[in-house]
Amino acid sequence: MGKGGFYLETKGPIIKFAIAEKFINLARANSIWPMTFGLACCAIEMMAAAMARFDIARFGAEVFRPSPRQADLMIINGTVTKKMAPTIVTLFEQMPSPKWVIAMGNCAISGGPFVFEGQYNIIEGIDKLIPVDVYVPGCPPRPEGLLEALMKLEEKITGTRRFPIPEQKW
Amino acid sequence: MNTITEFYYVLVFLIVAVLFTIVPVVISYLIAPRTIGKKTFATYECGIEPFGSAWIRFSVVYYVYALIFIAFDVDILYLFPIALSYTRGGNVCEFYSLLIFVGILAFAIIYAWGKGVFTWKRRVQ
Amino acid sequence: MVKTVFDDIKNTLKGVEISETSYDERGYHLAIESQKANIINIVEFFDGKGFYLEDLCCVDYKDYLELVYFFNNHKELCRVKVALKVESDKPAAPTISRIYTIANWYEREIHEFFGVYFENHTNLTYLFLHDEIDCYPLRKDRVPVTEDDRRLLNSFKPEEYEDGFFINLGPQHPSTHGVLRVVVKMDGEYIVSAEPVLGYLHRMHEKMAENRSYLQFLPNPPRMDYLGALNYNLGHVTTVEKLCSITVPERAQYIRTITAELNRISSHLLWVGAFVADLGGLTPFLYTFQDREHILDILEGIAGSRLTYCYFRFGGLYNDVDDAFIDATKQFIKHLRGRFGMYEKLVTKNVIFINRVKGIGILEQDKVPKYGCSGPVIRSTGIPFDIRKTEPYAAYDRIGFEIPTGTIGDNLDRYMIRIREMEISLNIIEEAIEKLPSGPFKAEKVPKKLKPPKGDIYHTVESPRGELGVYIVSDETDTPYRMRWRVPSYSNLMTFPYLAKGELISDAIATLGSYDLVIPEIDR
Repeated sequence: MGKGGFYLETKGPIIKFAIAEKFINLARANSIWPMTFGLACCAIEMMAAAMARFDIARFGAEVFRPSPRQADLMIINGTVTKKMAPTIVTLFEQMPSPKWVIAMGNCAISGGPFVFEGQYNIIEGIDKLIPVDVYVPGCPPRPEGLLEALMKLEEKITGTRRFPIPEQKW
Repeated sequence: MNTITEFYYVLVFLIVAVLFTIVPVVISYLIAPRTIGKKTFATYECGIEPFGSAWIRFSVVYYVYALIFIAFDVDILYLFPIALSYTRGGNVCEFYSLLIFVGILAFAIIYAWGKGVFTWKRRVQ
Repeated sequence: MVKTVFDDIKNTLKGVEISETSYDERGYHLAIESQKANIINIVEFFDGKGFYLEDLCCVDYKDYLELVYFFNNHKELCRVKVALKVESDKPAAPTISRIYTIANWYEREIHEFFGVYFENHTNLTYLFLHDEIDCYPLRKDRVPVTEDDRRLLNSFKPEEYEDGFFINLGPQHPSTHGVLRVVVKMDGEYIVSAEPVLGYLHRMHEKMAENRSYLQFLPNPPRMDYLGALNYNLGHVTTVEKLCSITVPERAQYIRTITAELNRISSHLLWVGAFVADLGGLTPFLYTFQDREHILDILEGIAGSRLTYCYFRFGGLYNDVDDAFIDATKQFIKHLRGRFGMYEKLVTKNVIFINRVKGIGILEQDKVPKYGCSGPVIRSTGIPFDIRKTEPYAAYDRIGFEIPTGTIGDNLDRYMIRIREMEISLNIIEEAIEKLPSGPFKAEKVPKKLKPPKGDIYHTVESPRGELGVYIVSDETDTPYRMRWRVPSYSNLMTFPYLAKGELISDAIATLGSYDLVIPEIDR
């Protein structure tokens, strides 16, 4: 974790059942609750992914919690400015473990189209501040991209991918 | 006396209710990993440090709502023993006396309604 | 009107240099050169005539800084540019925030970006930038922030208030539509004062404009307002075309109108869903997004993107529309007309909705010039002001449409105006499709490296939020010397502290939602 200047002490769980671990991870992957955290343009595509056409509810992630205390996924969509950075770190720390982060859009991955010589206000990529699990490129990425990111996150949590990869038609 | 054995059902209900709330908390405490940052236990206020103290004088509108709650609560409190002993007997005059009792208690609520406690002004200067 | 203003200024204010300019070339009718001594008199004169402050910006000409004030009139178009030269070392100027309330924020912005100190200003603290910045960003040379300025700019600290408390309607909130932070001082459930804090999404568009050529800057305006992206694109492209005197073929003008109106409908649809969701009704959100997906599919076929379109180029369009687009648009018009009845039953006639928005957030008509509101906010107070009628661009002067106005200026009026605007947009699209001529879609011989002639120009378009103004100062190179964007949400938001005073917090959130704010355009 880069020069964000925060510490995050991670302790493992007190009890760890090898057998129950598989089912617990499956339960965690099937019911990821994102936090409503729209920064910029990609937030509209995230809202579109939650709506009737690109239903994210069928994957269990429909309940967007406004409070970080009740959420376990933080989707950073939009540019991270230096003024907003302490807020993002605070919100990330206030989420209880286990928690994951999806960096959606070019701005969250590496600053996006706003990186130029002499830039003074944005942070080039959210992974300079908090650990990121999945990156979704695009400006803005399509809602299907966000759904694929959710699939990848589930694969990261459970170890296997539950849904088939859509076949390429070209 | 069979009234004591009837309370066993209440005891079982009480124990199950308490377990229902405590067991998920205990399970998640045991299984989840812990991640503690500098701001994990700070008060949540949309990501910003809250300023000002939380020990302030409350506005009087909330106080009046609490008073009305007390009125309703006393109502319910008196209705519990009535509900328990209602099945014995079968006279209709019991029902009427119950109605008069509840009506007298409801006067407090109707008085508050007439005084306009339930409507809040949309704009104050 | 232009003549009368000209004569009045010549007679009443002595010693003021005023000249008439060509509106077609410059975008403004009169240009005034003022000094620090008589700027307040000039501003008071315009205030007396009922003009509103359209924009206040600053241009760094290295030897001196120039403060540019634009005044305009709601009733009759007469744009006046007032220029005030300030020295570039320790610049200072008198404040006009006592006369025009919106100048309060404009001057704060100029102070933190250019270092101009405004005397007698009440609150010169940081508006957009973060505390650790060490130079004035928009100056051409690197000018570090002085110690006094740093102390002055860092002084936003809310004071203690024993009877109430401060709440942050913070950057992370489901109802602030982006990263807007409002620090609200409350007394019980009522708001005593509300102060917005901006800058959480400041993405340096104006600085980027100075580093990029006109063509390279094209993707940036759609990211400023992602919901009305085509209108911002249109504003940028039309301004540069006016500056370089490029004529756009007729077919391109009509297609620009059609796509801009489609974008307006999609922006209003999203607003309807988000506004009712703020009040607690989550169902219309699903319906409006579904209708919006139709528009996104139509526009994706020609523009290639779902949200941040960059479809217009200097001189015309990127590529032509085909029959599939026309058929899909006609089908969509029929589909959406059938949906309005459903929205009426679901939302407009809903008793809970009407009780939540009727009579809340009333903006009076005489307050409007102080703030420079525009868009549905000003039309809800009863003033029929629409840039598409007063300064037509694209094909709007050849298509007939009416302007909906409200009566009181409350949230319900703004809602009804936006619904009505959607219906009117459908009519405009229908008429434009009928009148669509054939021909080229792009002007010929537009150079790749555009080198506009020296000068400045101001042009406005009507975005779904209101009046968007673009002010370009060009110095004959292929990058602009200064590009300034006058955004509608900025001046609309300034009325929020006035409207929220004394309201219940849930009503204040409804008022904030009715402005249709998009924060990236405020923060630029």
